[in-house]
Amino acid sequence: MERDLQASGSEMDLELSSEALEYGRFALRAIEAAGGDQLVQRAEVEPNARDELVAPVLEELGAFDLDPCGDEDDRQAAAALCRSFGYWAVPYPVAGRLCRPRDLGADGLLVVDERSPAGVITGAGHRWVAVDLDGRRSWARPRPTNDPVRRTAFVEAIDLDPIDGGGASVVALALVLPCWSLLGMLDRAITLTRSHVLERTQFGQALAAFQGVQFQLVDAEVERSGLEALARFTLWSIGAHPEQALQDALALRLAAVEAAETVFRVAHQLHGANGFCDETVLSWVSRYSQPLRRLPLGRSATLAELTRRVGRQGLTGIFGLDEVPFPFSLRADSPSPG
Amino acid sequence: MNYDMGPEAAALRHELRSLIKAHVPPDFLGAFTDDPRDLEVAQRFCRTLAARGLLCMAWPPEFGGRGASPWEQTIVREEMWAHHEPRGAQYMGVNWVGPSIMRYGTDEQRRKHLPPIARGEVIWCQGFSEPNAGSDLASLQTAARRDGEGWRISGQKVWTSYAGMAQWCFLLARTARTERKQDGITVFLVSMEDPAIEVRPIKSMLGPHHLNELFIDGLWASDADVLGPLHGGWKVVQEVLAFERVGIARYARCERLLKAAPIVLGDQWDELPEELRARWARMLVQCRRARLLAYRSVALQSSGRVQPADAAGYRIAVTRLDQESAEVLMEIIGLAGAELAAPARDDLVRFRRAVEDHWRYAQASTVASGAIEMQKILLARHLRSEAWSAL
Repeated sequence: MERDLQASGSEMDLELSSEALEYGRFALRAIEAAGGDQLVQRAEVEPNARDELVAPVLEELGAFDLDPCGDEDDRQAAAALCRSFGYWAVPYPVAGRLCRPRDLGADGLLVVDERSPAGVITGAGHRWVAVDLDGRRSWARPRPTNDPVRRTAFVEAIDLDPIDGGGASVVALALVLPCWSLLGMLDRAITLTRSHVLERTQFGQALAAFQGVQFQLVDAEVERSGLEALARFTLWSIGAHPEQALQDALALRLAAVEAAETVFRVAHQLHGANGFCDETVLSWVSRYSQPLRRLPLGRSATLAELTRRVGRQGLTGIFGLDEVPFPFSLRADSPSPG
Repeated sequence: MNYDMGPEAAALRHELRSLIKAHVPPDFLGAFTDDPRDLEVAQRFCRTLAARGLLCMAWPPEFGGRGASPWEQTIVREEMWAHHEPRGAQYMGVNWVGPSIMRYGTDEQRRKHLPPIARGEVIWCQGFSEPNAGSDLASLQTAARRDGEGWRISGQKVWTSYAGMAQWCFLLARTARTERKQDGITVFLVSMEDPAIEVRPIKSMLGPHHLNELFIDGLWASDADVLGPLHGGWKVVQEVLAFERVGIARYARCERLLKAAPIVLGDQWDELPEELRARWARMLVQCRRARLLAYRSVALQSSGRVQPADAAGYRIAVTRLDQESAEVLMEIIGLAGAELAAPARDDLVRFRRAVEDHWRYAQASTVASGAIEMQKILLARHLRSEAWSAL
């Protein structure tokens, strides 16, 4: 067989485009200039002023011109943007704003569990559309609550007014982009924890000198870097293989919430009591990771949904594993794995 | 971004799978069993690969290879490991003994050793670990003392895989007592047929041939058997390890067995507890994650930027996957085992054996080729360095 062996695989490119990466770095600086870690603290004091705090930054970054649903380059830029907002724990549904259904003139889109719809939308535009995993769209009406924001992290129950079933094509992206925000939060949590254990001295040496501390940080980093690798792949696959996009998005979501559990557990443990204090950034990042980790589906519900949807087939993919593995064969009396 | 390896890579994968179907029996679970025919299968398969230029495809053309890209090497690694490594022990000669000899060998050593490796005719073993030098390899005590025009080597090695079937050994011995223990080590290429080497098999749960002891008593080696600089063996070993940096594609076998489970179980699949099927789905996500971490290292390798810590995260993730998926698969076959009481289908019997083999082998995945703690130490060092950044 003649083939160009050297060239094979050369098309593989596992990284976001340099433009998207630069956009993400620019966004990081822009958010920092707008207040950085103070944004979440100000938002807690003035819950209804979030749009005033955040929308100008999004405008400055040209975020509302991005079309992540229709354009590959914009999808990558949107992912980088979401990651940067996550890094600063900005309590604002950036991913939802970016995925807004233009055909309905809406301000944002959020994926909901139709059994108990909830989300973070008040103070981020007025007209939000909810979509369930099967693509059914509804207008979302937040139900006012008197619970303090400090407890709810801006999450509200939502009432739904059905519209149509036209949301299937965007569900995967609307699940994937928040995972990028969560990834940004994990980036921050590990960065903060690393700095803390390098600086904090106990028994005459930095915490980072203790192997027990080092290995915990390693476990967290393996989770974070694994999520990063999976997030990149999924961002590509939902565009390249839309027929399996929802399964891929659920797989990413599962990995994201599992990684968050490990990373924040380690981050809190290694910060000690410091990590719970308002003056410590970790405390804010940890609390405001909750909406992203629990909505629209928490860990168990995500896994249950993924299991149901992959059936016997498992995750399909591009790595040549869709055929029946040798030497096994399909049973004549069995349903097909699909 | 693009994660599609392209048609050439797909063709290579297809070619390898076709060869496996044609030349490897469906019951094959590796070369290292009590049945000598399994070793014969592997030896024959290596010659088959060699005849098609697929055994040493990563080698440079001047040494008979085809200069295959790291991505093509990845496909070979995946397909071979997924199908219980039908190259047997020869991956060692191909993957790092040969490249080490290319890099450090004399013309005579290259002429003597490279062609048999390229033809798939020779098995090498690795004389590294000792009773008191495992993860701390530089503490090795096997000594080579100057004796006339050559060296007289005595000592003990342990955990030496394939020693009972190997013709050659890539042996580390101490040639000098130095302040820094890494500095006095030399690599010797020695024949396993020399009566001064005694091989004692160690019976283990991994099956025969995986673990052996070597007792070396006055083995004679000439200067021509020294590979690379005298006392400079540590550097050679570091480069050897770099050839294997990405490591075994363990995710490929996990994924193959996980994907096969519902197919083999048929109707019984739906009778499994929902929680077990969920764990199965979760393992598939973990397989994908491990694969992508491996690909990150391959991409860095392709651009010449790979560092030891880059592959450490992958190794930690993939060995954990290996063991967790083995537990899930064992539970699946345990619950599907009732059918074995009746005349069992070939598929189910094969699957059960493959899973059982996978489980036993997975126990060693966090120990073999360097304990996982060493990978954690590497990654921890990187995390503490200025070079680390999450973004």
